[in-house]
Amino acid sequence: MLSTASLSNIRIVSYCLAHIQFLRNCFFPLTTHKFRRALEPNVNPKPDGPRKTALKPAGNLLVGFSGGLGSSVLVDLVHRCYVSLDKSTMPTEGGRDHPRHERVWKKITVCYIEVCDVFPGMTDKTEAVANLVSRYDELELVALRIRDAFDPSWWERVRGKPAFSEIGVSLADQALFMESLSHFRQDPLAALHTYFSSLPTPTAVHTSIQTLTRVLLLYTALHTGSSHLILGTSLTSLAVSLISGVAQGSGFNVREEMLEEWSPDPGVTEVPELWPEDGKRAQKLKRTVRIVRPLRDIGMKECAAWAWWSHIPVVGKEKWLWPGAKPGIGTLTKDFILGLEQDYPSTVSTIVRTCAKLQPKGEVDGKCILCGRPSQRGVQEWKARISIRSQPPPPPSAQRPLPIVEESPDHASLTPYLCYPCHTTLTSRSARPVSSPWPNTTQPSVVSLPMWTEARLSTTNKALAESNDEEVVRQRKLEQGEMKGIVDQFLLED
Amino acid sequence: MPPRTCALCNDARAILKRPKTGQQICKECFFYVFETEVHNTITEANLFKSGDRVAIGASGGKDSTVLAHVMKTLNERYSYGLELFLLSIDEGITGYRDDSLETVKRNQQQYDMPLKILSYDELYGWTMDAIVAQIGKKNNCTFCGVFRRQALDRGAAILNVDHIVTGHNADDIAETVLMNIMRGDIARLGRCTSICTQGEDTIRRSKPFKYAYEKEIVMYAYFKKLDYFSTECIYSPDAYRGHARAFLKDLEAARPSAIIDIIHSGEAFEVREDVKATQKSQQTCKRCGYMSSNELCKACTLLEGLERGMATAAVTDRARQKLDADGPSPGNLRTIPFFQLPASLQNPTTVETPP
Repeated sequence: MLSTASLSNIRIVSYCLAHIQFLRNCFFPLTTHKFRRALEPNVNPKPDGPRKTALKPAGNLLVGFSGGLGSSVLVDLVHRCYVSLDKSTMPTEGGRDHPRHERVWKKITVCYIEVCDVFPGMTDKTEAVANLVSRYDELELVALRIRDAFDPSWWERVRGKPAFSEIGVSLADQALFMESLSHFRQDPLAALHTYFSSLPTPTAVHTSIQTLTRVLLLYTALHTGSSHLILGTSLTSLAVSLISGVAQGSGFNVREEMLEEWSPDPGVTEVPELWPEDGKRAQKLKRTVRIVRPLRDIGMKECAAWAWWSHIPVVGKEKWLWPGAKPGIGTLTKDFILGLEQDYPSTVSTIVRTCAKLQPKGEVDGKCILCGRPSQRGVQEWKARISIRSQPPPPPSAQRPLPIVEESPDHASLTPYLCYPCHTTLTSRSARPVSSPWPNTTQPSVVSLPMWTEARLSTTNKALAESNDEEVVRQRKLEQGEMKGIVDQFLLED
Repeated sequence: MPPRTCALCNDARAILKRPKTGQQICKECFFYVFETEVHNTITEANLFKSGDRVAIGASGGKDSTVLAHVMKTLNERYSYGLELFLLSIDEGITGYRDDSLETVKRNQQQYDMPLKILSYDELYGWTMDAIVAQIGKKNNCTFCGVFRRQALDRGAAILNVDHIVTGHNADDIAETVLMNIMRGDIARLGRCTSICTQGEDTIRRSKPFKYAYEKEIVMYAYFKKLDYFSTECIYSPDAYRGHARAFLKDLEAARPSAIIDIIHSGEAFEVREDVKATQKSQQTCKRCGYMSSNELCKACTLLEGLERGMATAAVTDRARQKLDADGPSPGNLRTIPFFQLPASLQNPTTVETPP
């Protein structure tokens, strides 16, 4: 059922477009056109290539389903366009037997990830989601739980390679030192609670849910032979996530927020690196998952109108809150953007159009071990330069001996393997007291890492092994003369 | 509860919590990290060379007062070899600028730096009081911003300096990044995080406080007992900027690193080459010689509008068309003096800005 708020939104849509009858007649083809326009240029392995013949994806389709409005509309659109082949959704040109009107996807899977494990008292909606998806024939549902990120059996199921050793990280320490976990592997639910209880801010909790959900979906896509993962991010949600991402330091990944091509790290999974041979293709293709947001040109109000007129039940998402929690950056951004949109109605489309004109700047330094997105080179040096956290300051009196800071040789840090936003998520603290979703959880000094992170650390086999060979780093305060020597090389010649 | 020890020197008693890092540190360590971070910003970007004549844009507010103090301190500590000047712009806002200019005059005495005050009245023949009297409070920030930018360059040219430094802080830059994304101002978005800007026809301008939190600037002024004039401009109705600032403060409260994270984002992306190609190229204003993206620079257009009683001419397209339709500019129109770069900058060298 749609809420009263959604109903009022529909009235606004009608008002904006002036004539309700005109709107209803045009609304469905217009929305379908926007959906196809956002998805179909990205279906063939070579994006935006000639599509006059047919759409030939390299694999199947995975639809990420959250239970919210956008993903409910997305499932409906996918079913109409690619399963039931609803004629009203087809482009008119090209004739009845045009190849465009053939089935595009051999198999379509809907994946729902239940996040209620993270929050005390949250309702499990898996059954409601299963009922909703069962309305659509030929769509298969894969229901996961967010705790699966810490579950070896799930990892085995998606053909992930087991880690050689179980590695955890100390989230209490800004240095993010890693250690081999000496205790028996925790139950996945307990590991999840420990992980989330150790995060420093509500923002980190929200962002970590999004990261874990995204990577769970990606491995599910890989496992189901899907070349495409589509998400129900509407224009409004995309604008919110872009600004929220910028506020969390993910400017380098603005492009991935719009369209992303992901492949697993070599040696982490047993899924073949290439797509199976296809007689029609001249060469073998690398196995990747392309994340597309086909509702990126469709606003939240249009989604609400689609759901209302198509009688789509929306399971709904509960707010990610727990007792004592203050709103995080994601929530603040959403409230701000929706408020601004009232006075400046083109805000969301302006944000998305502006971000589409951007590209990452600087060199890529591999992929983040936690989120799998490209990581920018030199971010730790940048952080160290602009906010000094450990450099010993000059002693108040000249007689005081110069302090020496030694880094322990027994620890390797997770930091070099993380991108800027993930490192910030794990280390940036709030100025005010933060309540944990699970305050009674015993907090061990080291928490488990998601299965894919552990597996990749094992394959690089670098983190712990190298730590034993590292030199002790000595830092000391420089005297004036030495400082001048350093400054001299930065000053230009006359 | 025993007093906490400074997280940096592990010796003195911590007396403050750094807004930027959350660390509890002592006063001496705070001065050290604050000044060293500014020094790192300066050296990393190769902002100066020995012998440079540098004008500090001084408004008498907290940012420029602290900037003058820190620039003097660093110049002496690290032997930058800079010749420092104070440059103030008097917008002509009664009750606002009068008092803050007194602070600048005190700074001149304290730091023994030459001071130049250049007024809008002297340069444009209009004070902000007079402009607001004609156009009202709406859009007056457009006039003030455009006029101030040119006034700083012209004042710097009079002082014959190579470089202008301004007190823009991390909060200002983060706010500008957000605003430029939300308003779709792709040209400004591409350059707003650059520490140093220099066109072919302008004086180098940079922001040494680019990574300094506003709160820490205030804290520095407080502990150093620097006096500054703190007030909001009486004509400042920029609602959009106000929304962005309030949002930024909420983000900072949720996670203090948000300010620096936004700046990092702004530095981590750039405008796509194909989009850059569509942007207007820089030219010189045919009337006053200042850099411009049109035949007439924004300041000349605004001034012409004021003189001809059509003040919104440079603010809206419709008003500009009306001004054009009204016929050519009268010959006796008051104009801005022709702009000339200082002699030392007639053939500027290419400036590398940090990635």
